[in-house]
Amino acid sequence: MAVLTAERPKTAARAPKRRRRVSPVLLAFVLVPLLVEGFWVFWPALQGFYLALTNWDGVSAPAFVGFGNFAEMFSDDIFKTAALDTVIWLVLFGGLSAAGGLALATLLQRERRGVGFYRAALFTPVVFSLVATSLIWQVIYQPDGVFNKVLGALGLESWQHSWLADPKTALYAVLVPALWRQVGYVMVLYLAGLKGIDPALYEAAKLDGATAWQQFRNVTWPQLRSVNSVVLSVIIIDSLRSFDVVWSMTKGGPYHSSELLSTYMYATAFQSLRLGYASALAVVIFVLAFGVIVTYLVRAFREDS
Amino acid sequence: MTSAGLSRRRFLRNASLAGLGAIGSSSFLAACATSASNGPVKQAAGAVTVQSNLSSPEAKKAIEALAKAFGEKGGATATVNTVASETFRTQLPSYLTAANPPDTYTWYPGSLLSGYARKGLLLDIGDVWQTMDGYSAAFRALSGDGAGHQVFVPTSYYWWGFFYRKSNFAKWGVQPPTNWTEFLALCETLKGKGIAPIGLGAGGNTPWTASAWFDYLNIRINGAPFHRELLAGKQRFDDPRVKKVFDPWRQALPYFDPNGTAIAFQDATTVLLQGRTGMVLTGTFFADAAPKDALGDLDFFQFPILDPAVPVAEEGPTDGFFASARTPHVAEVKEWFSYVATAEAQELYIKNSSGTVLPTNPSAKDTGTPLVQKGRKMLADAKEITQFFNRDSSDALQPTADAALIRFIQKPNELDSILADWQTAAQKVWQS
Repeated sequence: MAVLTAERPKTAARAPKRRRRVSPVLLAFVLVPLLVEGFWVFWPALQGFYLALTNWDGVSAPAFVGFGNFAEMFSDDIFKTAALDTVIWLVLFGGLSAAGGLALATLLQRERRGVGFYRAALFTPVVFSLVATSLIWQVIYQPDGVFNKVLGALGLESWQHSWLADPKTALYAVLVPALWRQVGYVMVLYLAGLKGIDPALYEAAKLDGATAWQQFRNVTWPQLRSVNSVVLSVIIIDSLRSFDVVWSMTKGGPYHSSELLSTYMYATAFQSLRLGYASALAVVIFVLAFGVIVTYLVRAFREDS
Repeated sequence: MTSAGLSRRRFLRNASLAGLGAIGSSSFLAACATSASNGPVKQAAGAVTVQSNLSSPEAKKAIEALAKAFGEKGGATATVNTVASETFRTQLPSYLTAANPPDTYTWYPGSLLSGYARKGLLLDIGDVWQTMDGYSAAFRALSGDGAGHQVFVPTSYYWWGFFYRKSNFAKWGVQPPTNWTEFLALCETLKGKGIAPIGLGAGGNTPWTASAWFDYLNIRINGAPFHRELLAGKQRFDDPRVKKVFDPWRQALPYFDPNGTAIAFQDATTVLLQGRTGMVLTGTFFADAAPKDALGDLDFFQFPILDPAVPVAEEGPTDGFFASARTPHVAEVKEWFSYVATAEAQELYIKNSSGTVLPTNPSAKDTGTPLVQKGRKMLADAKEITQFFNRDSSDALQPTADAALIRFIQKPNELDSILADWQTAAQKVWQS
């Protein structure tokens, strides 16, 4: 009792200060997620950077090799193929899905009878897992699959092909299902952007006698600025982390012709068990994605302000 | 325990699923690589955990029957954890280095096994081997770590050969060949009838099937000892002797199914059964995918002899178990191992599985079908037994072979650069 009474004045004296202190509940709401994030994201990420400087087979202790893994990339032909394929993928997958998504969105933005059906149909591929999608496309691409049968029916027998087995076509054959899916996703982003444009702008443009192209060029496109930066970030990140569709259809083959940096990283880590080199590859992917996105976003926001 | 080809097939099919979300993020890789100690391991008190990669329905049923029978004997019990093969393979280092690992694992002998043994991760089971009467010296050698310790219990093995349908060969009026010349003549005859003579399922996720051709040509031309040295990194892939292996292969290439590198192994089986290809070089596990009514119609012939001076070797991949050195249940594990090595256990396993594997215990009976008897005799007559490319080398080396061999089949004229690239890729694996 005595202790309690003795303490009372103290706490009373601190009372005004306590009002300024952050409540423990609030503090917990900040700190707990930070700890979780730190433990599950930042710490492993830092470990990844450290592993990139080692040779490690997953069992023995990692051996420190400095920047040896990064130096090896300069003489690694498979790495060069994978990097080149990743650039091709970025340009085609990113470019075509953005262009296709925008085209479809402008086509389907106006409320007409049945337009909901088309929107839903184009968005449907997004809900399927890419692995399931790839399995279906794998069947389509079979030597006696639907695709070759259609070509045969059209009298284009000479075009028939083992699409996934030919190193010349494998990458592009894998690109198609990836695009098939991504276009619907980008379309939805653009549809949302188009909905946000004030119809009065179009009315004014029409009164000024603007053609459809002029309306797009001078009203729609500038209004889509913010959506464009979202779409660009999304497609860059999505193309750099494209993995599942390639892995399930070709595993980067035949003989590394459809290898992306992501599939090469996975194969190096979990097939060849060269975890150090794979971590170095992961660092390269990280730097690429991070670098491109940050550069673009910084520029975009600077122009905005 | 059953054909590893089967389980390999399964893991290759599942590889894509396992890879889901394993994307270009350094945090992912590190998370995976450094979380060695938190694998999902359930330890029932006193029960031996059997971490199994036998996920095909028949093999799973068989190993569970085995564990059940072991438990009913009285004494220790066993529980089976079936894990998808790709997950199993990539998690194996984590399991073995964990503080509280699963006790025993299905696996096969080979370089990976001896690698783990050298790092002290595997349980020495020399005393179990003392109870294993009559096991051949070959199995004993295969189960050692190379330093005098026994670390593996072999429980079953199977054979490879050119499989065909008897009814189709009769319909086409052809006979199985006994040498390479006859083999090429057979191919020519079949081609004349509009049939793709040699099927191959090296497309999709099963490019490893092409390695069977490399293995066989190399052991027929250069012999099994050279083959093992090559796969162990003591010889080079750009060696002229290796180059010589591709001469007969080039002779046979025109007779390969042109879709061979485009279709997966499972489809190649279907095409063979439908009579659109004449024969396929494969292991007995392929019979699992055949409909039951086609099983009696299947036969095989030995890979033709190319050089009579070279002692005959055959591929006889062996499957079985090893245990973690850190298991807390040493006595129970040894009891389990002694049991699976018995004739009784192996017969029980074969009865519950697809039945095309052979028991390793010399007094255990196989299913006794003519096909199985023929396969058993072929392996018994062989002077040397090899395992398979990835078993004689390592799973890490397999992708280098896949890239090289598929490229050879598609572009045989680039052989020199193929072999040079193969050597480069293989060296990286050996050095890491």
